[in-house]
Amino acid sequence: MSAAPVAPVSRDPLEPAVLIEGAQTDASLNESLLNHVWRGAGEGWKKLFGVALAALGLLVVAISYTLYKGIGSWGNNIPVGWAFGIINFVWWIGIGHAGTLISAILLLLQQKWRTSINRFAEAMTLFAVMCALLFPLLHTGRPWFAAYWLMPYPSVQGIWPQFKSPLTWDVFAVSTYFTISLLFWFLGLVPDLAALRDSSKSKTKRMIYGLFAMGWRGSGRHWAEYKWAYLLLAGLSTPLVLSVHTIVSFDFAVSVLPGWHTTIFPPYFVAGAVFSGFAMVATWMIPARQYLGLKHVVTVKHMENMCKVMLATGMMVSYGYIMEHFIAWYSGNPYEAGQFFKVRWFGPMAPVFWTMFFCNVVTPHIFWFKKARTNMGVIWVASILINVGMWCERFNIVVTSLHRDFIPSSWHNYGPTWVDITLFIGTIGLFSTLFLLFLKFVPAVAITEVKELRHELEHAEHARGAEAH
Amino acid sequence: MSCDDNKEARDKDRKVRRSLPIVTAEASVKAPPRYWRSVAERDAAKSIALAAVNEFAPGADELPEGSVSRRGFMQLMGVSTALATVGAACSKPRDKIVPFVRRPEETVPGNPLHFATAFSLDGYASGIVVTSHEGRPTKVEGNPDHPSSLGATTPYEQALILGLYDNDRLKEIRTNGEGTSWRGFLMATKARAEALSANGGKGLRFLVEPSSSPLLGELRRRVLARFPAAKFVAYGSTASDGVDEGPKLAYGQPLVARPHLDKAQVILSLDADFLGDGPEMQRLSREFSSRRDPGPDMSRLYVVEPSLTATGSMADHRLRLRGGDVASFAAALAAELGGRSGLQALGPLSALPKGASGDPKWLKAVANDLEKNRGRCVVVAGRRQPPAVHALVAAINAALGNVGTAVTYVLAGVDGASGAKALGGLVEDVAAGGVDTLVITASNPVYGAPVDFKLEPLLRRVPNTIYLGMYQDETAAACKTVIPAAHPLESWGDARAVDGSTSIVQPLIAPLWGGITEAQVLAAFLGEGDVTPHELVRRFWLGQRMGGQVAAFDGAWEKWLSDGILPDTAAQPVTVPEVNAQALATAISPLLAAAGAKTDGLEIAYVAEKLHDGRFANNAWLLELPHTITKLTWDNAAMMSDATAKAQGVETGDVVALQLRDRSVEGTVLVVPGHVDEAVTVALGYGRAGDAESVGRGVGFNANAIRVSDAFWFDRGLKLSRTGDTHKLAITEEQWTMSPDGRTTPPPAVDATLADILKEGSEFNEELAERRGPLATIHTPVDYAKPDADGKVPYKWGMSIDLNKCTGCNACVVACQSENNIPVVGAENVRKGRHMQWIRIDRYFTGPIDDPEMITQPLGCQQCETAPCEYVCPVNATSHSDEGLNEMVYNRCIGTRYCSNNCPYKARRFNFLNYTADYSASQHMMMNPDVTVRTRGIMEKCTYCVQRIERKRIETRVAGTDIKDGELQTACQQGCPARAIEFGSLNDPNAKVTKLHADGRRYDLLHEIGTRPRTAYLARVRNLNPELATTTKSESGEAEKAGG
Repeated sequence: MSAAPVAPVSRDPLEPAVLIEGAQTDASLNESLLNHVWRGAGEGWKKLFGVALAALGLLVVAISYTLYKGIGSWGNNIPVGWAFGIINFVWWIGIGHAGTLISAILLLLQQKWRTSINRFAEAMTLFAVMCALLFPLLHTGRPWFAAYWLMPYPSVQGIWPQFKSPLTWDVFAVSTYFTISLLFWFLGLVPDLAALRDSSKSKTKRMIYGLFAMGWRGSGRHWAEYKWAYLLLAGLSTPLVLSVHTIVSFDFAVSVLPGWHTTIFPPYFVAGAVFSGFAMVATWMIPARQYLGLKHVVTVKHMENMCKVMLATGMMVSYGYIMEHFIAWYSGNPYEAGQFFKVRWFGPMAPVFWTMFFCNVVTPHIFWFKKARTNMGVIWVASILINVGMWCERFNIVVTSLHRDFIPSSWHNYGPTWVDITLFIGTIGLFSTLFLLFLKFVPAVAITEVKELRHELEHAEHARGAEAH
Repeated sequence: MSCDDNKEARDKDRKVRRSLPIVTAEASVKAPPRYWRSVAERDAAKSIALAAVNEFAPGADELPEGSVSRRGFMQLMGVSTALATVGAACSKPRDKIVPFVRRPEETVPGNPLHFATAFSLDGYASGIVVTSHEGRPTKVEGNPDHPSSLGATTPYEQALILGLYDNDRLKEIRTNGEGTSWRGFLMATKARAEALSANGGKGLRFLVEPSSSPLLGELRRRVLARFPAAKFVAYGSTASDGVDEGPKLAYGQPLVARPHLDKAQVILSLDADFLGDGPEMQRLSREFSSRRDPGPDMSRLYVVEPSLTATGSMADHRLRLRGGDVASFAAALAAELGGRSGLQALGPLSALPKGASGDPKWLKAVANDLEKNRGRCVVVAGRRQPPAVHALVAAINAALGNVGTAVTYVLAGVDGASGAKALGGLVEDVAAGGVDTLVITASNPVYGAPVDFKLEPLLRRVPNTIYLGMYQDETAAACKTVIPAAHPLESWGDARAVDGSTSIVQPLIAPLWGGITEAQVLAAFLGEGDVTPHELVRRFWLGQRMGGQVAAFDGAWEKWLSDGILPDTAAQPVTVPEVNAQALATAISPLLAAAGAKTDGLEIAYVAEKLHDGRFANNAWLLELPHTITKLTWDNAAMMSDATAKAQGVETGDVVALQLRDRSVEGTVLVVPGHVDEAVTVALGYGRAGDAESVGRGVGFNANAIRVSDAFWFDRGLKLSRTGDTHKLAITEEQWTMSPDGRTTPPPAVDATLADILKEGSEFNEELAERRGPLATIHTPVDYAKPDADGKVPYKWGMSIDLNKCTGCNACVVACQSENNIPVVGAENVRKGRHMQWIRIDRYFTGPIDDPEMITQPLGCQQCETAPCEYVCPVNATSHSDEGLNEMVYNRCIGTRYCSNNCPYKARRFNFLNYTADYSASQHMMMNPDVTVRTRGIMEKCTYCVQRIERKRIETRVAGTDIKDGELQTACQQGCPARAIEFGSLNDPNAKVTKLHADGRRYDLLHEIGTRPRTAYLARVRNLNPELATTTKSESGEAEKAGG
């Protein structure tokens, strides 16, 4: 077994860069990837966690105030019935999409580079969906009823939800999405939790990790069934990537409002979701791989691939924008034309539109350049811009469409209140808190899969080596 | 115990009760419950029921009339415990009042009663019918039999209900800050009156509200008989010397001009907002709208005015002219007409001094039109105009032969002037120290008096000041004795309309906080203070009508009360003498010259709207009512034209100091299209300082702070200077035009010229035809005319709104607010776009911003047949009825607001906060029990007054009939003075609404979306004068947006 140097020509041309750096063994991977769990909480983590907790506290304040005072504590009005609440909902749901895409679709497409980042992305999905799930309930006037009247249950009143309403569809779509994402993430974690259990130094930790490892012993049968279950869940998740944001887009597309009543919304929303999801993964992954010592498994190659996905989905989103405007003109509908060519471009909310335009349409094109794709600083800034742009896109769709619709006399401007802003910051706090906890207590990279990948790569090299001989 | 015995007992009981005041008689025998949970419970219920019948002989458990019965006592206890803070809240009026319209044998709980009464403003009455639920007045309607009301109301009358239950009202009599009783006051007054009568009442003065009440007139005469040296001075800060004295200048006697717009082909208004204001606003609106159907009989309205009003917005041609220049216009018109053949009577008036009178071409065209329509045209002068203008108008009308047809005169009911001049006399007396006792029953004169009178320090110098007022206001603070005044709905009295028709004012409820009427105060000076107001008015009319024969009187009295009007009281028109134009010219020449002398500087014009003179300053319904033109709520503003604002370097929202004759007040600028240049208009009644008026305190600014007695309505020489501050006005509609950003959408509010409408197949008519009728759809439309299982064709509710009749007067908005328990939200929430009124009167300007045309469009829920709101609600909280109503199920609503987002009309309103949480106990009594009071977090909207539909349905089902057209009115329809709103079943081919839906002017709002609205609009028509059509009818496009 010689470690013969491998000639570059023998590499798969589609995978020009390394996915695992250095000569890693299972043991070294185990050590390096579990290290951030066993290592005590560092100063940096503690500081970040403090900030995140403070933001989470703001969320608690904002939610309590909203429940105490009512939706009137937000900036919403008539005609702008929906604003920050729904924007945040759509934005967070969108961010979740990268995780599902990476875990499910890339798995089914046998994209090897997904392994190092899938755990990370799945966790993000989960936390993003949790942030998103706050809003459908919280934005209603009477959440204490919404909590169960939205569910189809045989009530004594004999009233069912209105199955024609996209909000009812949302309930099903999002709850399914959350459940499947949770199961998928947890299932992937089980072998790693077992590894944590086995390497635990204290009894308490062993018991806790053992509980969640659900008796995993790593037998052949376990592996066989695990593989099947994982594949099945991947199969289940795949349509969700498309369906969830499609259904979320129906909230708008099914209405009669100019700017909402748009048939291109489903694919355009899905593309936008993946776009923002990958941006969010990049935003978090770049510091994480730096500070958690994951550079050898989350390589430049991974980042580059994510940039390519952002470039592709960014252009899909741009196409969506172009089509919206084209149809507004081509349909001859004066309300649509008014919405797109007057209100969005020059109306009171025009700065948001142009911010969106810059962030979502212009920014991704930097990823045509390899220098940009491999420069972490550039990727990080671009990914943040994309997240801002995608938030602005939802603002454009929700608020800008609502504040000037059909009858000019009903038009009214919108401005958020401190509660709106605090809620938004608060959800970022919730997300960050959960994410930091995840990084602290659970392996951020799917160790099992990375090991598997290592073996696969090794075998492939052996095979190539054998061929060469 | 047999059933028959039981019945007999009940019959006897009923007889007893029928002789009691109807609103107190509501005890009914409770039948055993149909369902019971145990035998014990059933028997218990039965035994209680039997005991109630049998314990005492019939009637024995009722104390004699006038006292409190045991049962009444228990009721009283129950209510007063619940409403402890209200005091004697729910006690019933002790004296007998008689219901209007229906006289049920007994009060059925849940079935409201209706009582006719009257409400006076500026001395003249309008008949109202008040709905009372178990003794609580809840809603005001117009009295259809009353000549001033004709069944309609103004916003003031609708808002009476809120004022009645206002917890800020005065609640006790106080002398020098210490509480006292009515008896205590009477004793003190008795002693004082005796002292005063010793010297003939020298030093006794009464400052009273202008009134035409026969009872008060009689009491005043009797007071003067006892105190010959006393004086009555009437003052109202909205008084009009012009109305009071103008006709006198022309005819030598105190007359009131009454235009009859149904007989007028051409109407010229000289600063008269007769469609938006004034004691006969309802009648004039009705008459005006009756002649606005397109056709040869359609009247033409010319308006000369400084700032746009409801009347100005209805004008076919409008001339902007500063208020002070209207007199010059009137003189120029008289001169112009005087030169025409047959109108030489006006000749001598051509020598009057000339001033600015606008475009001469305009004046000439109007003169031509008036000349052409002699005998069927009318010139109307506004209340702000000086006597000279009213006199000129009288002369012009007389010369044109309109007297007796389009205008008649009746003797004035209010005797004497009630403006600044009248008050000036009293001020002099007080300043001279000759006043010992001053009784004030006028509405807050310290606030409303011209600032140069310095009334407040003067009042403090009077040894005895007695103020009868509703609130602890500015006047109350300056007076020694303060008496809580009874609200009009708590009062006994009488009132006279402009035409002389007299109504008895009957209370709907005993005074909530011990209110006293003006009649009682006057009676106190006659030593009759312990006579109830009921007795005062009865005695008076007994003497007047029946010569004291009580037996005959009782029947008549009940009929007067139930009709709301006394028979044969309407005055016959006075036959007026010829106008001596020569003498008139001599008389008014100096007046005009004086008016024309001051021409420098900006003009300031005062206007009384929404809050009137300030008496409604604590009425949140009126404060939050969007102004007809500006859509401004809460505050008042310094309103001016765009050009003036630019010239002064100010813009909407700037706080400026308005400086006039060394006095200054700070107000917010509001640019208003159609305002005359070089002038500022300011509404009176705002900027109240009274601590107790918690709603109105500090809202807007007090224009009376710069208003002086010799320039009561208009003044010149105003200077504006920016303070650097800004104030965000709470305006409900920021957009001014139908396409603010230049989009090419179909106009929501359609207007056209008469020529376009009448020409068949005109481009306009074809465009309009495309905006009605069914659109192509892949769905099978629901057949709402399909007979049900019994073969009965269901109702198909629909509404039509005629934009050609709607003046934007706002009566419907407040009527709806009152009927449907709609909360107010406050200025801050209006600014945020959360106002709750279910009817939004949209207002659009077209044409150039300096002189635009304006159109109003009331918009509530359109009750779409294919409603976009319904399918998006996730919990089925809004659904469709078989009759086509778009229903809102409050209990089910979770408040996603998705329905509102998807409503293309944005007709839905959301309870963003718990707006009803801070209602006082008294305000709870105001609620209409047929309508759910909504809580925080739920959506609401216009229901076509579904509660009225259901009530009528029950009534007709019981009677075995159907709801006939016209039997059922929505609140907005009933309140509308112009009859612009019709409502009924579209399955009834003869219903008015069905016919209007088939009218050539009908169109559907946003027809192109396919919502199939049940509310149809009828296009506005302008009857242009061909001579002026090219110059004033602007086709230059939309007014630019200026502010907002």
